[in-house]
Amino acid sequence: MAIKYNSVLARQYVFISLIALFSILPISIMAYKIFYLDYPLTGLIPVNSYILDVKMQADGHGDSMKMSTFLPKSDSRQTILNEMSSSGAFSLSIDSNDMNRMATWEAEDVNGHHNIGYSYSVQAKHVQYVIPDNLLIPDSYPESLGQYLKEEDGIQINDPLIDQSTKKLITDENPSILDVVTRIHRHLQDDFANKKFSGFTDAITALKLGEASCNGKGRLFVAMARHLNIPARLVGGVILKQGSKRTSHQWVELYINNHWVPFDTINNHFAEIPANFLTLYYGDQALFKHTSDINFQYMFSTKTRLVPRAEAQEVLGESVFNITNFYSLFQKVGISQDLLKIILMIPLGAFVVVVFRNVIGVETFGTFLPALIAAAARESGLMWGLLGFVSIIVISSLVRKVLEWLQLLHSPKMAIMLTTVVVVLLLLAVIGVNLGMIQLAQVSLFPIAILAITAERFAILEAEQGMLKSIKITLTTCVVIAACFFVMDSLFLQSMILAFPELILIPVALNLWLGRWIGMRFSEFIRFRKLIFGPQS
Amino acid sequence: MKNIFTFAKEFRQRVGAVLSMNQRNLEYIYPSNNRVDFPIADDKLLTKKYLLKAGVPHPETYQVYGYFFDLRNLDLDLSERSDFVIKPARGSGGGGIIVIVRKENGYWYSVGGKQYSLEDLRRHMCDIIFGIYSFGIRDEVVIEQRIIQHDSVNEITEGGLADVRLIVYQHQPIMAMMRLPTSASDGKANLHQGAIGVGVDIDSGITIHATHEGSYLDAHPDSNVFLIGRKIVYWSDIIKIGIQISNLVPLKYLGVDIAVSHEGPKVLEINVRPGIEIQNVNGKGMRRILAATRQMQLDVTKGA
Repeated sequence: MAIKYNSVLARQYVFISLIALFSILPISIMAYKIFYLDYPLTGLIPVNSYILDVKMQADGHGDSMKMSTFLPKSDSRQTILNEMSSSGAFSLSIDSNDMNRMATWEAEDVNGHHNIGYSYSVQAKHVQYVIPDNLLIPDSYPESLGQYLKEEDGIQINDPLIDQSTKKLITDENPSILDVVTRIHRHLQDDFANKKFSGFTDAITALKLGEASCNGKGRLFVAMARHLNIPARLVGGVILKQGSKRTSHQWVELYINNHWVPFDTINNHFAEIPANFLTLYYGDQALFKHTSDINFQYMFSTKTRLVPRAEAQEVLGESVFNITNFYSLFQKVGISQDLLKIILMIPLGAFVVVVFRNVIGVETFGTFLPALIAAAARESGLMWGLLGFVSIIVISSLVRKVLEWLQLLHSPKMAIMLTTVVVVLLLLAVIGVNLGMIQLAQVSLFPIAILAITAERFAILEAEQGMLKSIKITLTTCVVIAACFFVMDSLFLQSMILAFPELILIPVALNLWLGRWIGMRFSEFIRFRKLIFGPQS
Repeated sequence: MKNIFTFAKEFRQRVGAVLSMNQRNLEYIYPSNNRVDFPIADDKLLTKKYLLKAGVPHPETYQVYGYFFDLRNLDLDLSERSDFVIKPARGSGGGGIIVIVRKENGYWYSVGGKQYSLEDLRRHMCDIIFGIYSFGIRDEVVIEQRIIQHDSVNEITEGGLADVRLIVYQHQPIMAMMRLPTSASDGKANLHQGAIGVGVDIDSGITIHATHEGSYLDAHPDSNVFLIGRKIVYWSDIIKIGIQISNLVPLKYLGVDIAVSHEGPKVLEINVRPGIEIQNVNGKGMRRILAATRQMQLDVTKGA
């Protein structure tokens, strides 16, 4: 029997095919990118990025002035991005060799107080090495490593005291490297007190005192290692932690099995280096050098934030199907990648609203207002965003009450409401800036017209169904804004959508499915609880 | 003791008896009512045209104002009237309706006792024309006859006009309720504004169940009059009118609101998106009867 044309059936087929298309298509493209174009999937998980701001101050007395410090280099462990300098009257030169990068600021006839700043963002990995336990200390090394076996100022490898203490520590005739470095590391970590002392301590002094700061312990470690014919070097850097500080840090690296392996006997890192260690230079160096008598001061300020991995973005830039080309189109007309990212996230926010309205069954002001507010609150942060939203609604609806009393016609009244929203937004921005709450100032990006309409709805609802009802809907709107915010602010999802913009079709598939979902909303179980859970009638 | 499976089965049956909002929209409103026909219900002036043509009783229209210009003779138009109803033609949820019951010393008084000057009324009408009560769309003001409620309905109502809401699907009356204004609802017969909902048995017209603000009750909270077990007057006429309207308009799932006046039933308005709260009011779900009616309709279509 031939199947008769049936519009209901036809619609069902089209519906199912569309859902299938919108789920299979993006997943196939994504799979193609991952397996064929080798997109890095692990690179999509966001990492903690640090923004380090090195501030230097000096007072000039009419003479020439010179200051220098080390700048970090990008390597396999750490990535340095967005370097920015503010040098003022000084000329900046950067001298780079295969080990270190040194920045030097110079100026003639300097008078008065001067500030110099240099900032960059850092993404670094935690690295841990495994030292094979059967590895013995080699008899000889390539010539290039010679400098890491020599005696230096402060690293007195030929001093009898070093010989004595290493002999005491290592009794085996033919010890393994693992055994040797474990014993030295444990000895320095456990038997030497950590001392907060910023001056220079040489290896012998540290040994004699039985206590030392990072540079003393470092020199002693290097001295003992070199004494035992293991190439070793000092590493200088900064431990990155939110806040301001003046302390830098030193640790050591030993050349084991063709790798430079890090050790820190202040913080007990054995053959490992945490993700918040920034390497600035190699060798026994002073981090800052400057002309004397200039009252030189410095400070490290660190801010942290989660960002998509640097490698992921780089690889995306190189790959064939790359989206950065797509973005460069928009960049030509002045639309930033950041803005595009948010625009791409709005469909996801809208889907969150759909779930709240059609599956959970809560009422919100405006269908997609929560998603738009969440997008706008991205700059201000969720708390200030919600605070801004609520204060705009409350103040505008109060103004509406006054206008209502004045008995104005609708359109002029709405125009005044719109003005009120603009004024409140500007006031919030001014308050924010004056109180140093920069985030609050960002609420000025809110969708103004939509807020004016929302304030009007709030007022009508309040008049028709009471204050309680309008407050309730405001609260549920806030909850949905927060939910949208968490989804849209998710760095993982943002990275995914940047790498695989075709995923935007997935919410379309889900919306199609929910668009024909006839189930009970969660709130309806409560609304009809007496029919569902009550006594049988 | 019930085991978990019988419990789950009963739970599913109970959930399955209730029509949800999503299902109402998808399976009843969208397939039954074409968007293009929505104005027949949403625009009360258009509704009145249909009703007038078919001779269905409804409140007489006194005046219609579509432009501010029309309001210039408002003074003259209202001078002889002391009781009437002002309505937005495309309003929703009962918003913007003023019921004037008397005139004294040049002022009109609403059913709730509020005083209106001519300018108050004119401003209210301007708001209506501006679309305040109809989602910002330009609207028209309807001035119509005030319904004098039947005495038997007055017994159970306090301060306002009660009405019967009838859900009609595929020309079948599905479920009915009476909506009684309370002091809390300010004379309005809208459930979400605090009116009482009284479930009415479709066949007999006898009240069976009542709710107010989500809880069950037996008596009117203002007057303590018992609400259950009362027979609604003109019930068979009310049902007849409901079915007559469903034959009149191309809408297959609709709510018909009928007031019971001292002269008999009068249609107030029809609704293409009737709410689902009527199930709570009747103390039972309407999904089963809707599904049965739907199946019947499908069988008829297939047979043909």
